[in-house]
Amino acid sequence: MDRNQLNKWLKTPAKMGHKYSLHAVYFCTGCGIIEVPPSITARWDAERFGVLPVATPRQANLFLITGYVSVKTLRAIIRTYEQMPEPKFTVGFGSCPINGGMYWDSYNTIKHLDKYIPVDGWIAGCMPRPEAIFVAVTHLWTLIDKDMADGYKRYRKNYQAYRENQERALGKLEWPPLFSIGGKG
Amino acid sequence: MQIIAMILSPILALIIGIFFLGLSRKMMARIHWRYGPPWTQPIIDIIRLFSQKSVTHGHLFNLGLILSLAGSIVVILFIPVGRIHPLSDSGGMLVILYMLLLAPLGLALSGGEAANPNTSIGISRQLILALGYEVPLLLILLALMTHYETISIVEIVFRQQYAGWALLSSPLVLSGIGYISIMPAILGIRPFEVVQAPQEISSGPMVEYGGPYLALATIQHALNLFIGIALFVNLFLGGAGNPLFFFIKMLVVFVLGIFINAALPRLRIEQAVQYLWRWPTLLALVGLIVVIVMKSVSAG
Repeated sequence: MDRNQLNKWLKTPAKMGHKYSLHAVYFCTGCGIIEVPPSITARWDAERFGVLPVATPRQANLFLITGYVSVKTLRAIIRTYEQMPEPKFTVGFGSCPINGGMYWDSYNTIKHLDKYIPVDGWIAGCMPRPEAIFVAVTHLWTLIDKDMADGYKRYRKNYQAYRENQERALGKLEWPPLFSIGGKG
Repeated sequence: MQIIAMILSPILALIIGIFFLGLSRKMMARIHWRYGPPWTQPIIDIIRLFSQKSVTHGHLFNLGLILSLAGSIVVILFIPVGRIHPLSDSGGMLVILYMLLLAPLGLALSGGEAANPNTSIGISRQLILALGYEVPLLLILLALMTHYETISIVEIVFRQQYAGWALLSSPLVLSGIGYISIMPAILGIRPFEVVQAPQEISSGPMVEYGGPYLALATIQHALNLFIGIALFVNLFLGGAGNPLFFFIKMLVVFVLGIFINAALPRLRIEQAVQYLWRWPTLLALVGLIVVIVMKSVSAG
């Protein structure tokens, strides 16, 4: 943890800020409501890592997708993700967002989350222990340090493909495109 | 000299306010038996927020936030911090009373432009809460002004330096207790955290702020914290001879506030107004009557 190294703060203040102030949007999409509250309260205390749950996507820069993603939730996930200010980081939590998990043949869940929004990291398991969130957070720090947590850049670059996938899963989307489709945005 | 004081006093207020924000997060964590974030966490958050981009909802959305920030900074210029009081000689408490309204008004204008339902609920709660605590606050300030026969806050501080703290002097003790009992409402901490109730209305007026807007709103919150405590220290705890003693007095008051914040749950808005208009108002009214009676007895 290089939170106290002043020269790094002076050299790259924005990057250090993104590392040590990860505000997670408080939106448990699937099963994770059992694992996330203990990790932010007294038992595991996520706040010592700078991870704090916030109630609105505008204030957040970390999005934990916890558990299976039903088609109805995917709509909310995409809208939430698009409302978060850049740079933003997404972590898939549990095996269901990775490849469908135990819902792999369900009619009402999507299997690969990273077809619809970019994901910066995965936590495998069904369900992972709350400690795994902190392992993920420390890995995310390394990725941010090396400029490898670039999901928001990929979303901007490949927005047309993501939007097509979203429309395939959800039908017609009732919100306008976030970036201009076909342009070099 | 006055210009230096004018620049110094908001900067001092900002440093103290942000330190208080960090201290409150660390202390709340310790009370919960957690390790907690470092006390510099609000500074890290503000750096992160300034480096992000966020959407705007129109000109009033930007200008309202700036208005509330400017309102807080102007109020700070009128509040003496130790011997630093750039504008306190002119105007006094009446100006502070008027200027105090600018900060919530600016936030209300800015949030209203965002047209989010949570924002509207938060703003209406904020204005109702302000209505709740302004009645006892006005009565308390009236008692103070009657007792010291002045509206100048510097004069009140000066009188307390040789006559003892107003909180401990016999006619003003009721007003002091009244002020203590409305102070959580002025600071917006629990049990009066109805405005920014994250679990109910998604942090209320703050719901549409992200990036630099949230950073400015956090700074405004820090300044607001400073104003609420500094007013109490000046009016009832006798101010201080230098900024260091002033800071120590503020620290004691704020730590007591954190204990109240950690111990009590959140009231509903109508319970809050019921409480504010019953006990603190009663105390303030009795305090005002006692001051007037003592005044007329000693005069006659």
